Amino acid sequence: MTIKKRYFRVVHALFIVLLLIQLLPDKLKGETYAQYVIWFVVGVEALTLLVSSFIKKPVGLNLFTDIVSFIYGLLIAWTLATAKFNLLKPALFPPPGKVFWRMIGDYETIITNIFSSVGIILRGYLLALVIAIPLGLFLGWSARLGSAATYISKFLGAIPPIVYIPYGIALLPTFRSVSVFVIFLATFWPVLAGTMSGVMNVDKKTIDSAKVLNVGKFTMLFSVILPASLQQIFIGCNQGLTVSFVLLTSAEMIGAQSGLGYYIKNYSDFGDYTRTLVGLIVIGIVIVAISFAFNKIQKYLLRWKH
Amino acid sequence: MSKIEIRNLTVDYTEKKNRFTALKDVSFSIEDGEFVSVIGSSGCGKSTLLSILEGINTPTAGEILINGEPIHGTGTDRGVVFQHYSLFPWMTARKNVAFGIKQVNKEASRTERLKIADEFLEKVGLESFKNKYPSQLSGGMQQRVAIARALAMDTDILLMDEPFGAIDAKNRTILQELLLELWEGDGTSARKTVVFVTHDIDEAILLSDKIVMMTANPGQVYREIEVPFDRPRNRAELVQTKEYNQFRNKLLAMFYSDIVSKIGGDEVVL
Repeated sequence: MTIKKRYFRVVHALFIVLLLIQLLPDKLKGETYAQYVIWFVVGVEALTLLVSSFIKKPVGLNLFTDIVSFIYGLLIAWTLATAKFNLLKPALFPPPGKVFWRMIGDYETIITNIFSSVGIILRGYLLALVIAIPLGLFLGWSARLGSAATYISKFLGAIPPIVYIPYGIALLPTFRSVSVFVIFLATFWPVLAGTMSGVMNVDKKTIDSAKVLNVGKFTMLFSVILPASLQQIFIGCNQGLTVSFVLLTSAEMIGAQSGLGYYIKNYSDFGDYTRTLVGLIVIGIVIVAISFAFNKIQKYLLRWKH
Repeated sequence: MSKIEIRNLTVDYTEKKNRFTALKDVSFSIEDGEFVSVIGSSGCGKSTLLSILEGINTPTAGEILINGEPIHGTGTDRGVVFQHYSLFPWMTARKNVAFGIKQVNKEASRTERLKIADEFLEKVGLESFKNKYPSQLSGGMQQRVAIARALAMDTDILLMDEPFGAIDAKNRTILQELLLELWEGDGTSARKTVVFVTHDIDEAILLSDKIVMMTANPGQVYREIEVPFDRPRNRAELVQTKEYNQFRNKLLAMFYSDIVSKIGGDEVVL
């Protein structure tokens, strides 16, 4: 890449605009913690320059700077609407500096909550994968059970998992296990449906070429059918992941005393919208990070496709 | 006793209440170590015949005996190369071959399997492509891997369903010669019994000991012709001989006389 392509980008103009805006006089009464915004964007800008210098592919740099531009744009609008022109209700829309200040102040609680939430999601999600994928392989491969199972899973999958919460509380030992159970149910049906439809759509020629090699039942299911339907299985896993994020808050409301969903719910109940926003931002970052890792795994396992 | 005996094979399909006879009373036998090509125009049932030999299709009537025993389904005594999709796209060339070996030789360790796989990939000239996925290989290379796998599995019988049908002319020639060389061997080990389905007369003559010509509607054996040329064969020398051209013309005449009789017209000028 040329120097111009590397460094001459809109993102840097936005950075300067964002810094200059901080110099405008505040209209909002009270502390706006502008220095936190400045520290944050200077950090992000330094990272951007670092990435710009070392990244090899222009596509990767475009993606990175586009995301940073979005963040800068959002911060510009947010600063102007709150601290600088005071257009919105300060109780509901705190200035960005205040959110950053709270985030730093609360960082220990936030770290604990991240571990708690990720623990619940991973437990429920992995449990669902471990059960739904082999079951889906078996049901999809069985010519007779497959079609019945498709309808049954459609029926059961359409029931919102939160409906099961009272049953979970009655049957399971701890509140935390009920939270895991909710995530498990949310993920189980889409993964099962994805696996079954994947198995049923495996090319007959692939199955024939395995048959003529005289493979055993176990090899057929796990060495042939599983990789052949992997793309469809991933579609189910992706859906499951999305649903489990959405349900995280509901899952953590059941008696859990920690977790990001709990953090958000708790502070919004008490009208502390600065901390609510902190929670929203952190949960967003966690979701993006998990999705990123998930995509990497998917790309690796499907590397033979390209 | 013949290696393979096909006895009165009939296959009927029912499609939307229409009965369609793909094969009707097909019988012929194949000796041990013989290379037999099954040739015929499309719809003559040659691929149906092979799928029954493979064991993935069952006949409506009749049976196939291998070493005197009737076959039921697939077996480790037969190696197969299809026209497409023989390889698993999620396995590298090397893993594909090793996977085939594993199915017939459960005792071999992983290292041994990979070693045999490498050996056979070298025989088909793909040692430097062994870690590539099928999607990274050309059609010709994919068929080389499929042949390497079938040979590495070391089955008595090799079944090939138009393996070079989708390969461009130049590569097809190269692959035919490679197959010929590998099959003829150095004369020290026993040759495999091969059933090779094709619609290419030159390919059939070059490779086979015997050609089984089939006709369509319904699929039946039209003629069995012994190929009178000595081995090892060399294409370049063979195609220049008078005998080859006479033989080829004879076969072509048979091939088309069948079609003319089927459409029933003297009007058809060839």
